Amino acid sequence: MTSKLYSVRVNKQNPPNTLESVQPCSGLYSIRKDIKRNIWLAVAAAIYLINLMLAKRHPEWSVAIRATFALAPLIPGLLYIRSCTRFVSGLDELQRRIQLEAWLFAVMGTALIGIAVSTLNASGVHMGELEHGLGMGRAFIVTFVLWLVGSAIANCRYK
Amino acid sequence: MKNLLRELRAGEAWSQGKLAEVLGVSRQTVNAIETEKYDPSLPLAFKIARLFKRPIEEIFEAEA
Repeated sequence: MTSKLYSVRVNKQNPPNTLESVQPCSGLYSIRKDIKRNIWLAVAAAIYLINLMLAKRHPEWSVAIRATFALAPLIPGLLYIRSCTRFVSGLDELQRRIQLEAWLFAVMGTALIGIAVSTLNASGVHMGELEHGLGMGRAFIVTFVLWLVGSAIANCRYK
Repeated sequence: MKNLLRELRAGEAWSQGKLAEVLGVSRQTVNAIETEKYDPSLPLAFKIARLFKRPIEEIFEAEA
């Protein structure tokens, strides 16, 4: 009874996901995990590029067809979100916390920078290329950079 | 939260990596718990208690 109560299954079959497993050159890189997580992103990118090519070659196509092609990458995009969610669910509990802290840092930081740029524009400060706000492309870059910084800070905290 | 994880692991002559493998977590998690930088979730605390055949309150002690 006691041995049953205290028995612990060695978890070799289903080890937790690690960020290193999807980072090439990390030493712990797993091509299987990388493909499993990123395959839908690659499919979305491929469909997007095909769509760009077709839209240039066939400007005579109706709006409905062009809209269908333009929105087609959304389906693999949604599947990519699902695979990312599954990957995060498979992370070990400390890694999940680190990722939560890093994403909070990135999202809140981007929001603050966006508000700061808008406020400066509204005050009449000349912002050059940023006179219409941060913009979507720059917002993605800022979020990514802040996520890297946030991950590094959180990792240092728990080292 | 104070804990005896390092002592218990040393008693079994396990590395952090080995303990992490048995518990199904990363080595970083084991290290963070041992250095008291991270408090484990209740399921993980139960897993640790079962592994070392000790009550949870004997391994983990809440700081007043």
